[in-house]
Amino acid sequence: MMRKYFLKIFSALLGSTIIIMVACTPGACFDETNAFVKTSLYLYSTGKLLAPDSLTLYGINMDSSKIYNSSKNITLALLPLDASADSCGFVIMINGVIDTITFSYSTHPILLSKECGYTFYHTIDTPFYSRNIIDTITVSKNTITTLNEENIRIYY
Amino acid sequence: MRKTFVFIISFLFILINGTTIKGQDSVQFGDSVIIPLKIRIGIEVAGPVIYFTDKSILNLEGYLSADLNEKISLFLGTGYSDYKYSQHNYDFLSKGIYIKVGADFNLLKPETAMGKYWAGVGVHYGLSSYVAETPLFKHENYWGITSSSLAKDTNWGHYIEICSGFRAELFRNFSVGWLISVRKLIYCGTSKDLRPIYFPGYGAGGKSFSTGLAYYIVWNIPYKKIKVALKKETPEEPEEPENTESTTNTTNSGR
Repeated sequence: MMRKYFLKIFSALLGSTIIIMVACTPGACFDETNAFVKTSLYLYSTGKLLAPDSLTLYGINMDSSKIYNSSKNITLALLPLDASADSCGFVIMINGVIDTITFSYSTHPILLSKECGYTFYHTIDTPFYSRNIIDTITVSKNTITTLNEENIRIYY
Repeated sequence: MRKTFVFIISFLFILINGTTIKGQDSVQFGDSVIIPLKIRIGIEVAGPVIYFTDKSILNLEGYLSADLNEKISLFLGTGYSDYKYSQHNYDFLSKGIYIKVGADFNLLKPETAMGKYWAGVGVHYGLSSYVAETPLFKHENYWGITSSSLAKDTNWGHYIEICSGFRAELFRNFSVGWLISVRKLIYCGTSKDLRPIYFPGYGAGGKSFSTGLAYYIVWNIPYKKIKVALKKETPEEPEEPENTESTTNTTNSGR
């Protein structure tokens, strides 16, 4: 009787062990690891979200490396900040007209997960910008994270 | 490799326990049983075994427990852990000590347990003091690679552990057993943004729950014997109600 009883317990424990082993299998990183300034593009005259006919975007002094190059149908642009500095600027060309935007921010590290490692989050101040085609930039959420939420709006 | 070891050890324990002999310490009378109460000193053996195959983690753990009665025993555990992790974009180190206090409950009937077998659950509170460090991490984006580090920091983490398992006396006063644990993190000792990859006693500090599996070799020191009254089992319901006379006559004759 004793042996029968223990066999039942062992069966349950062994099953649990296998489940734990499977559950503990290490995985790869599938999460977003970059915190972008998520920028929505609005037409000032209508106040509605509208993709410009052409969008070109790159970092100041990074002319050779474009983030967007005459791209179409972009209503949400992703601007990466430089974690090794406390400010960085972008050249933005909307429908062939050039403006610049400069962000000042603080940076702090965050652990995403064991698989993905660390990234940096930022807290931005009010951005400085030229007003050739851009009318206004408003800040919706000043904490820049990997979450999918709008940070600023550009009205052009 | 680590999983293979855990698996092999599991099977060994099953085989060993399956052939366990009945004990001689306890004496059963008609309506009661004499149960020896014991103090136990146990060491966890899977941690050192795993370390031989995986040098990135060393876990040494032991415990002391004392029976209050045939069902409940007090538990005091302690351990040391040294953990290293490295991947392409960061390195992480943590080491420290931990203690666990709580109670274990034997779910076996006294006449089954006989002071030699334990199958039940334990509830423990764990407190861990550890030093964590990220000597290097790298982050790459449009602007290039940014390298940084997080300095050594001493932290205190705590958690609740619920474990379930089995223990059997193989030889006189020597037992083996294993426990599956589920732990609920209360506080890992750091801010939410920089939870440790691992902290001693708990495991993956980035998660609210962690699980563990431990194998123990235990030295039992009997210190007292108690007499436990056996609960009388209620007779089973007869299968055929119309045959009343025959079922009445066979009550209590089954065992």
